[in-house]
Amino acid sequence: MRLLRQALLLLRSELRQELRDFELLLTAGFFTVVLLAMFYLSFASLQAKAHLSALPGLMWLTVAFVGVLTLTRVFDREREADTLRALLAAPIERLAIYLAKAAMALLVLMICCAVLVPGLWLMFPAGQAFADQPGQTALLALLGCAGYVAIGTLFAAGLATGAGKNTLLFIILYPLTTPVLMYALVTTRALLDRDPALPDHLTQMFLLDLILFAAACLLFETVLVGAPARAPGRRPRHPRRPDASVRQDMSREPSR
Amino acid sequence: MTDPMPDAEPRPAPVAAAGFRLSSVLPDLCLLAAIPLLVYSVHRVFMSTPIEQSMGTAFKIFFFHVPMGWLCMLMALIAGIAAAVQLRLRSSGAAAVALAAAEIGFVTGLGVLLTGPIWGNATWGRPWTGDARQVSTALLWLVIVAYLLLRHYGPRSSDRLAAALAIFGAVNVPIIYYAVKLWKTLHPSTGVVGSLPPEMWATFWPGLGGLLLVSLGLLGLRIRQLRLADELDAAWVQLEDPR
Repeated sequence: MRLLRQALLLLRSELRQELRDFELLLTAGFFTVVLLAMFYLSFASLQAKAHLSALPGLMWLTVAFVGVLTLTRVFDREREADTLRALLAAPIERLAIYLAKAAMALLVLMICCAVLVPGLWLMFPAGQAFADQPGQTALLALLGCAGYVAIGTLFAAGLATGAGKNTLLFIILYPLTTPVLMYALVTTRALLDRDPALPDHLTQMFLLDLILFAAACLLFETVLVGAPARAPGRRPRHPRRPDASVRQDMSREPSR
Repeated sequence: MTDPMPDAEPRPAPVAAAGFRLSSVLPDLCLLAAIPLLVYSVHRVFMSTPIEQSMGTAFKIFFFHVPMGWLCMLMALIAGIAAAVQLRLRSSGAAAVALAAAEIGFVTGLGVLLTGPIWGNATWGRPWTGDARQVSTALLWLVIVAYLLLRHYGPRSSDRLAAALAIFGAVNVPIIYYAVKLWKTLHPSTGVVGSLPPEMWATFWPGLGGLLLVSLGLLGLRIRQLRLADELDAAWVQLEDPR
C-alpha cells in the first residue's frame, strides 16, 4: 500500500507538471497525427485486402515511434531539471518512481491511441472492425501499450542516469519490444478478422505483460543504482569503477 | 607489512599472475584441439558424407549452419546468465564474460543469418520466408548488436543497463519464437537432427565439437583480454588518484 501511495503521489506530480504546459500530450499527439497522415498518403491507394494486412503494422509502428518519443521526454524533464538524483535520494521506494513514470507514459500512449485507432478506422475501410468491437480494441491497445511501456520505462530510466546518450533508447527498445509488438500484431489481426480466438490472444498478451512488468520491477533498482552493497568482509572487487556508487553514476562530469 | 591504504578497497587480483595456471592456457588448448577436429569435419562433409536425397548438395551447409545456430543460442544464454551475475554481485569478471559471449554470439549469429538464406534459397526457392526460427534468430542477433552498441557507446552507467538488456534478450527469445510460430512455419522441425542417418551424425558431431572449441577458446582469450584491460584501468585510476 505504501508503494502504491508513493507511486500515486509521484504520478500526481507528473500529471500536475503535464497540465502546466501539455508538452507530452501535444508533441506525442501531433506526432501521431503526422504519422497517420503519412500512412494515408502512402497506403490509401492500396486495395482493401492489403489494408487488412497493413493495419496492424501501421497501428503498432505508430505506438512504437510515439512510445520512444514519450519515454524519452518523460525522463528528459528530470535530466533537464537535474531532479532524478533528488528522486533517487528521496525517502521513497525506488520502484514507486518506475511505477509512476510507467503509468504516465501509458496514459500518454493511451490518449495517442484514442486518436490513432479512430484515425485508422476513418482512413482505411478495413478498420471498421475497430468500431464494431470498441471494448476489445481498447483492451488490445491497453495491453500492447502496457507491455511496451513496461520495458521502455526501465531502459529510458537507465539511460536517463547517464550523460546525454538517451538516443540509444531507439537502438535498445525496438529489438526488445518486438515480442510485445508481435503479440499485438497477431491479436490485432485476429480482431480485424473477427477471429473467435481473440480472447485467447488477449489473455496471452496479459500474461506477457505480467512477465515483463515483473522482470522490469525486479531489475529497476539494480539497473539504476546497482545491487545493494554486500555484507561486510565481502567487498566489491572494483570499487573505483564508474558503477560503484549512485553518486558516481549521477555525476555529469568525467572523472578523468 | 602494513596496508598503506587501510580504507581503500582491495585491487583486482592480477590476471597474468606468475606461475603456471591451467585456466590461463585452456583457451589456447581449446583452439589447438579445434584444428584437427575442423579439418576432419570439413573433410568428412565434402568427401565422405553422402548427398541428401531431397535437398541435394545444398544440405551440406547444414553441417555449419546448425552448429552455429546452437552456438549463437549458447552464447546468448551465457551472456544472459553472466549479466545476471554481474548485476547481482557487481562482478567485473562476469561483465567481461557477458561481453565476450555477446561478441562470439554476434559472429556465430551472423554466420547463421548468412548461411540460412543460402540454404533456404536452394531448398525452398526463397532466401527468407518469415519463418519462426528465422525471425527469432534475427531478433536475437539484433538484441546482441544492441547490447554491444550499448556496451561500447553507452553512458558511464551503461554496463548495468546493458546487463538488463542481455537478460531481457535471453528471456525474449522463446517468447519471440512462440509469437512468430502462431503463423505457419516452413522451417525444418527440431526433429531433423535426431532423424539423421548414422553417417551424417558422424559428420555433424566433429563439426559441432570443433566450432564449440573455437568459440570457447576465443571466449577465454577475450575474457582474459577484458580482465587485463580492467586491471590497466584500475592501475590508471590508482596512479591518478593514489588516496
